Amino acid sequence: MIAQLVLTLLLGGMLAYAFVAARRTRLLGAAIALASLAGIFFVWSPQSANDLAHDVGIGRGADLVLYLWVVLSMLVALNLHLRLKTQAELTTRLARALALRDSRKEDDEPDRGELSS
Amino acid sequence: MRNPAVWVVVPAFNEAATLPFVLGRIRLNGCRAVCVDDGSSDATAAVARSSGCDLVIHPFNLGQGAAIQTGIEYALDRGADYVCTLDADGQHDPDDLPRLLHALAAHNADFALGSRFLGTAVDMPAGRRALLSAATRFTRLTTGLPVTDTHNGIRAMTRRGAARIALRQNRMAHASEMLMLIRRSGLPMVEVPVTVTYTAYSLNKGQSSSSALRVLAELAAGLLRS
Repeated sequence: MIAQLVLTLLLGGMLAYAFVAARRTRLLGAAIALASLAGIFFVWSPQSANDLAHDVGIGRGADLVLYLWVVLSMLVALNLHLRLKTQAELTTRLARALALRDSRKEDDEPDRGELSS
Repeated sequence: MRNPAVWVVVPAFNEAATLPFVLGRIRLNGCRAVCVDDGSSDATAAVARSSGCDLVIHPFNLGQGAAIQTGIEYALDRGADYVCTLDADGQHDPDDLPRLLHALAAHNADFALGSRFLGTAVDMPAGRRALLSAATRFTRLTTGLPVTDTHNGIRAMTRRGAARIALRQNRMAHASEMLMLIRRSGLPMVEVPVTVTYTAYSLNKGQSSSSALRVLAELAAGLLRS
């Protein structure tokens, strides 16, 4: 019972994370939410996990849940990767704006050589 | 009537060795060049400056796609009527630029893309040829554009076409993204035979065969983000 509660808590956290992820990437958010809900269902209905595991050719329900967890972790990693990409895009825009601004500034400055002569 | 302003965007990362030749030939073809120094650690900026071309310096290395986008925005800001791009490593022949520009007018197109497979690929390694053929087939499938070449950096576009280009892929996947953007713009494009010359220098600087997988991964990530 304690393990079930802890797992439900963790998967519930993951479900909350899915809503946050969905704001950035709807598809990914939906996948995480789906995997989390399936996880909660299997935690409370181990026999269903066993039955489904047998149906798809996996020996035990516990293994199925473990695989599900691995998939979930990979989706979270993918989401973090996409978030990093978004950050990189913002950094690019900033760097580009600075580079273009500096080039304009250079144009506006009088020729230093002429001034000193 | 004034002559149309033709700007050539030259993205450069540690290309001090080949830049003088490339920029000199661009000028001989009557075009203005903007070199985008993409955070080089060699004398790229100094060489570009001494050649008399316009120079934009990225504060750090962002990638070729980012440099091209910066150059396009710079050129449009300066009133370019036409914007061309070519690599700084000397593998493209700036003498092909007039042909690309002529094709825009002759075909009433907004994009003229260089094709080494319609033209000449000098000393192209067999592995590179096979990889590019596969990439071209993939590009045809994903974009629906009837191209004969892909990941060829020499191209010309009208001001209207250039304004539709907003590259988000900073690195090598930008070439595929460019074709997707062209497709999405719905503006006419034409392919033009060009000469691409492979040298030990350009092969060393260019994409490795394994980068094809990275390009695919970057494109997939880009699709997920959009």
